[in-house]
Amino acid sequence: MKFSYNWLKKISATKKSPLELKDLLINHSFEVEKVIALGENWKKVVVGEILEIKKHPDADRLQLVKVNIGERKKLEVVCGAFNISLGDKVPVAMIGASLPNGMVIKETNIRGVKSQGMLCAPQELGLEGDPSGILILNKNISAGISLAQALGLDDFILEIDILANRGHDALSHVGVAREIAALENRKIDYDWLGLKAPRPKTKKEIVKTAIKDKKLCPRYSMAVLEDVAVAPSPLWLAAVLKNCGLNSVNNVVDVTNYVMLEIGQPLHSFDVEKLYSEKGKIFIEARRATKGEKIKLLNEKVYDLEKEDLIISDRKNPIALAGIMGGWESKVTEKTRTIILEAANFDAISIRSSRLRHNLKTDASDRFEKTLDPNLTEKALARAVEMLVKIAGGKLVQVEDIYPKKVHPWKISLNIDYLEKMLGEKIPIKTAREILNRLEIKTKLAGKVIVADIPTFRLDLQTPEDLVEEIGRVYGYEKITPQPLMAPVKNIRLNENRLFIRAVKNILAGSGFSEVYNYSFYSMRDAGLAYLGNIKHLELENPMNPDQAWLRVSLIPGILKNIRENLKNFQQLRLFETGRVYWKNADVLPEEKEMLVGAIVAGEKFGAQIEADSFYEAKGQVDNLLAKLNLEKWYYDDYEPVSADTFVDLWHQGRSAEIKLEDSGESIGFLGEVNPFVLANFGIRERVALFELNLEKLRKFSEGEREYAPLRKYPEVTRDISMIVSGGTRVNEILSLMQAAGGALLLDVDLFDIFYFEKENKKSMTFHLIFGAPDRTLESREVESLLAKIITVLEKKLGVKVRR
Amino acid sequence: MLEQEIFNIKTEALKNISHSSSIEDLKFWRVQYLGRKSRLNEILKGLKDFSLEKRQKIGPLANTIKKEIADFWEQKNRELERSIDWEKEKIDITAPGKKVSGGHLHILTQVQNEIEDIFIAMGFEIADGPEVEKEYYNFNALNIPPHHPARDSQDTFWLKSDENKGTDKILLRTHTSAAQVRYMEKNFPPFRIIVPGRIFRREATDATHEHTFHQFEALVVGDDVNMRHFKHLAEEFFSRFFGKKIKIRLRPSYFPFVEPGFEFDISCTVCGGIGCAACKKTGWLEVGGAGMVNQEVFRAAGYLPRQYQGFAWGFGIERLAMMKYKIDDVRLFHSGDLRFIRQF
Repeated sequence: MKFSYNWLKKISATKKSPLELKDLLINHSFEVEKVIALGENWKKVVVGEILEIKKHPDADRLQLVKVNIGERKKLEVVCGAFNISLGDKVPVAMIGASLPNGMVIKETNIRGVKSQGMLCAPQELGLEGDPSGILILNKNISAGISLAQALGLDDFILEIDILANRGHDALSHVGVAREIAALENRKIDYDWLGLKAPRPKTKKEIVKTAIKDKKLCPRYSMAVLEDVAVAPSPLWLAAVLKNCGLNSVNNVVDVTNYVMLEIGQPLHSFDVEKLYSEKGKIFIEARRATKGEKIKLLNEKVYDLEKEDLIISDRKNPIALAGIMGGWESKVTEKTRTIILEAANFDAISIRSSRLRHNLKTDASDRFEKTLDPNLTEKALARAVEMLVKIAGGKLVQVEDIYPKKVHPWKISLNIDYLEKMLGEKIPIKTAREILNRLEIKTKLAGKVIVADIPTFRLDLQTPEDLVEEIGRVYGYEKITPQPLMAPVKNIRLNENRLFIRAVKNILAGSGFSEVYNYSFYSMRDAGLAYLGNIKHLELENPMNPDQAWLRVSLIPGILKNIRENLKNFQQLRLFETGRVYWKNADVLPEEKEMLVGAIVAGEKFGAQIEADSFYEAKGQVDNLLAKLNLEKWYYDDYEPVSADTFVDLWHQGRSAEIKLEDSGESIGFLGEVNPFVLANFGIRERVALFELNLEKLRKFSEGEREYAPLRKYPEVTRDISMIVSGGTRVNEILSLMQAAGGALLLDVDLFDIFYFEKENKKSMTFHLIFGAPDRTLESREVESLLAKIITVLEKKLGVKVRR
Repeated sequence: MLEQEIFNIKTEALKNISHSSSIEDLKFWRVQYLGRKSRLNEILKGLKDFSLEKRQKIGPLANTIKKEIADFWEQKNRELERSIDWEKEKIDITAPGKKVSGGHLHILTQVQNEIEDIFIAMGFEIADGPEVEKEYYNFNALNIPPHHPARDSQDTFWLKSDENKGTDKILLRTHTSAAQVRYMEKNFPPFRIIVPGRIFRREATDATHEHTFHQFEALVVGDDVNMRHFKHLAEEFFSRFFGKKIKIRLRPSYFPFVEPGFEFDISCTVCGGIGCAACKKTGWLEVGGAGMVNQEVFRAAGYLPRQYQGFAWGFGIERLAMMKYKIDDVRLFHSGDLRFIRQF
């Protein structure tokens, strides 16, 4: 909310500058977002009275003007505008003034005549108005005062972020002034207790009011004023409202707004003649709307009301959406003579839901939805009537106040030991009580217990902890000395899951992968592009946009987008992401699985070549990762989908595999190239190999024990075998035949070269065989005979041709 | 005289051999001093013409000297053969090193690891909570009932409800505080935990706003955990994180799940508190919200009223990373752009 420094100063009697106030409030009360100096650009611009107008001797389009700028000082200036006449009050920029439009005023010589300043047009001052003429000010303003003062702009605006739980009292100048005074060890200069329900001298009964829903409307106070002269507001009032961000409408509306800014209670005024009357009497009630009722509000829009909306209504029509905005038909205009002034209290939740339902937010609803003290209504009414009588000349003829369940002050007990236990700082009981007293909270002492009487405008104070906060913040949090916590030494549990994920990330980063973070959602379209559209996704009810409506079931669509974008800058990519995916299940909450996806783009285009660098690199990376994570044994199986909820279509059907554990056959993830159609959908032209692993499963199986294997004592013998095999023969078949034939003495086999003869549908493979025995050095003879055995088996069973 | 000559030959030979800088020079000196026609050889050949007494004196001396010269020559020869032409060996050490294609952990991962390590070293446990959360844990249990205006400041992504699952509404958690009551339902004080994780706010994105970001919740509860302890912990953590002495400023604030509640600022990490562009001349940087845990929250967790007390705080990991590495656009974190990721 925007606060006027002058207004705060008047009520709080502070001597602090606006910036000092800002610091004071920030440290003890509220965040001050901004301090704006009004009229700062009008230094050396004063009000002048025109004493004499003469023609310029040498120029037809210029005049010589003599102005009185107070204290018997007179200036002669050259002026090019002709809308001025003798006696006018006008803004005069004196020599040295620097105007908002950048102009700096100097003594000049215009066609032989000295000009000692300038009369200003609105634009030159940064104001709106006719640019061709000089700004003519109100005649009552005395010459010589600064223009800022004349226009009510010699003020500073403090934009203060009032905390949500202080809307009760601090969305008002009195509320913030009370804070300031309390912080400066004073009470405010404002007759708060003197504001009591006004009493008409002569009573009439023009209006009869009723509350139909006491829960939604705990109090309805109103006053009727006759013979009101609706007119534009006096300058000071219009200016103060404008400075605080409100438009000036007319004197009646402006007074209601002014009172709201002063004490925080919104008010509304109705034109009595526009309301439906029965036998000369108007019946007003606060009730729930019925379905089908409509109202045109002050913003000239028509709203369909619901039965949850609280409205103010006469016997025929709704006349206001309670606490939010008044009706168009009954608004106060220049023709209005008799008004109803309403100051009511409404239920916060009801106001909030109504304004959300109708998408309306007003200064009134802002306050009501934070819950207001019902005792405020009569104070607001008193203040508004007092001002209206002065400004618009009205006559009070009726006051009604329906207040079925009066709210009384309540008590909170705070033990001084508890105060110290919470703050950690010892505050003398006397100091604590003084602080509360300054906040207009009266206290008594019962032993070590402070019993506090909470004024009803401090609805936020309900518990001893609330009082701890009041005392603590006014005392000053800066006075609290930091102190290490003395706690029993406990052995903390480590978060195994996070440590495991960290290890996985470190291995991958060490193997050349860079880590990406993607959003947890994607669009239905993205899911479709990745052929995941058939999977039941969790959907957001209110996404920011349709691109972010589905919660991800896989990290893959995100990674594919990363690949597409990064291929604009890089030819080869190694990326990974770990994160949660969300699967619907029988529980209220979905299953959140911690997943890992790694991606490799080796720069392979689609085409004739049969090599699969990306795939095999990915497979090697998975092997490396699983080995480093201490998994026992795993293998790659042809992927056979088991239900509709799988990713079968996402993968390249000829180049994908399921990663399984050897002992249990349990699947821990997938490896493969992405289906070329999916890649095309994402606009990727290179082959992409991915692996997707379930991190929780990985962790479960990575907890195997490690055991040392003794180093070999006897030398190993290596032999290479090169062979031509048919294109369909799998490496696994060859390996298992070799292992069976070689027995225990064949320690290891590595495929280290492969070459494809595409036309013949054959491939050449070279294996590296390692022989050895634990107890002796193998003789050449033994090795040769084992090798011969292996070759024979391969030739017989697979028809390979071994090159010799 | 002859003896003197032999000594002179030795001195001269050793000098010349040791000064040789190439194999060629060395060979020349071998012929010169050890060859058939060398002076030493001539002396030895001429021994037979001397008297027995002279022979017995000169012979062993000449032979010893010859062997000494030969040994010295051999030694020098081996040295020269093993020597390296350093001139030819020289390379341009300003030419670039071979590219090692190492990967990069995302900067948020790095910062999060660092934060976790600091807290682990201070005796904290690291806890987790679900990202898709029940309305209850995210709001109600934290003293934020439906219609509470505090819900406004945390615009929420709600999930479409499944008709067959009752009335529990579910949402994407708007803060890691959602894990507080979950943890307290299963654990009793005293404890110190942090809960790092991803959170969501329904906000339009720009350079300083993201709908997806990461937070750290710290929750310390015991019999008498108070605001002094909070101030100390905050100073300690930030000083360690930024590697310099950091001061804490508390400002009154309001969050329904704490009372008293405060915002906390740290002394500017750039200027140290004097005032600069980074802190908008205030000397302070805003980092997060905190406060003494509201007794209502303990009640939701099933603790007895005022049996325990403690504090909680939450702050954004992105914000810390931005401060520490002077990153000016929060959207970069989730951009997947390697040009950004590879800088760290």
